[in-house]
Amino acid sequence: MDGSCGRSEHALFDAARAPRQVKTNRRQLVRRGVLGGAATISGISLLGTGGLSAGAAPSESQDQKIFNFALLLEYIQAAFYSEAVDHGRLRGEVREFAEIVSQHEREHVKYLQAALGPHARERPALSFGDATHDQRKFLAAAVLLENTGVSAYNGQAANLTKKALVAAAEIVSVEGRHAAWVSDLAGQDPAPRAADPGVSASAVASTLRRTGFLKPA
Amino acid sequence: MEQRPSGDIFDSCDEFARTLAEVDVGGMLAETASAVSAGTRASFLRRCLGAAAGVGALLTATDAEAAIAATKNDVAILQFDLVLEYLQAGLYTEAERLDALTPSTLAWARVVGAHERAHVRAIKSLLGRKTVPSPGFDYGNVTSNEQAFIKTAVAFEDLTAALLKWQAPRLDSRSILAAVVTLHSVETRHAAWIRHIVGLEPATTAFDKPASQRKMAELIDSTHFVASKPRVARKAQPPYSG
Repeated sequence: MDGSCGRSEHALFDAARAPRQVKTNRRQLVRRGVLGGAATISGISLLGTGGLSAGAAPSESQDQKIFNFALLLEYIQAAFYSEAVDHGRLRGEVREFAEIVSQHEREHVKYLQAALGPHARERPALSFGDATHDQRKFLAAAVLLENTGVSAYNGQAANLTKKALVAAAEIVSVEGRHAAWVSDLAGQDPAPRAADPGVSASAVASTLRRTGFLKPA
Repeated sequence: MEQRPSGDIFDSCDEFARTLAEVDVGGMLAETASAVSAGTRASFLRRCLGAAAGVGALLTATDAEAAIAATKNDVAILQFDLVLEYLQAGLYTEAERLDALTPSTLAWARVVGAHERAHVRAIKSLLGRKTVPSPGFDYGNVTSNEQAFIKTAVAFEDLTAALLKWQAPRLDSRSILAAVVTLHSVETRHAAWIRHIVGLEPATTAFDKPASQRKMAELIDSTHFVASKPRVARKAQPPYSG
């Protein structure tokens, strides 16, 4: 599984584009029914740390690292919304939001998996606790995950090759829409400031760690 | 090549973070930090964007003379964006002043207007001496008619986000790119927000497609908002293929 290398840049992205035409199957994600301790989502300051983590000149191998990091985020988002939809405890427009957005996040996962091919990381073990049952906790977690997604992609934009950037821009654009939508549903400011600063990978990792959603292997 | 995360998921996160931190040493981040402490435009940018030091650093590019160092291509893109931001800032500011829209729309216009005015200042700052003056605008009844305003606002926010996606890979400077993407996602927030207010679906697809400067120029033309010609013509189509 790990032996393939030397795919050309074009092959990488052509392969990635193909699945986007295909309709996604509903609920493909493996359900993780594990109920750990309640996820603690405190008011983590998302946008105050880090900034541009300007790495070496963009390269295909750096794209891979960044896409794999993005894939981790998308795995979490996709699993979170799928589980929330499956539990059927959300109401009204929040439910509609979860249904639509879970579909988007699954498409992001499929895109990144296809782009990465054999280098794609595996799904992490996840546990969302009450956040997929309780509407109020769901909204808080969704706002956090979407804002984290925006700041993570923005933080890496300048580190990507042009081709990878094209794809990442199409994805972060949708994350920004999700963030505004769910913030409005949660009674928070959909666009809290004039610029969405990029956040370093380490700050994103800390935020993810603090959600308690990722289970140590 | 990339190895599979073998142990704790946190370890693989941290490892990735360390990788980027290592390559950053002595890199752009350090340079931007010193540019910020040196003053120049940074404090101004921090003020107008009201964000953490990171934003000031991003929008200040790598050094105080970044604006002058920008390539002709990047200057053309930024000038185009500046005129677009002038147009939007003017539209929302006038709507706020006339006070004729519904409260929810007006509340949106107030917040978004402030953002677009901040974007004007940020882009001017990036351009330095290459800045261009605002054309004269005539918005007709659009700033006082609810339906006309909403239609226009949705079109401009959706298309601005699409335009920035088109421009991003065409920028030469990674510093300018890093700054522009922080504006891009805010435009997508504006678009989703106004759509939500008026009952349109905020996010209709998993991948938002780009739209060219020509497309945006066509939208601007169709509105007849530009009463006196802007200096930036639509010739600004930077070369990028692939």
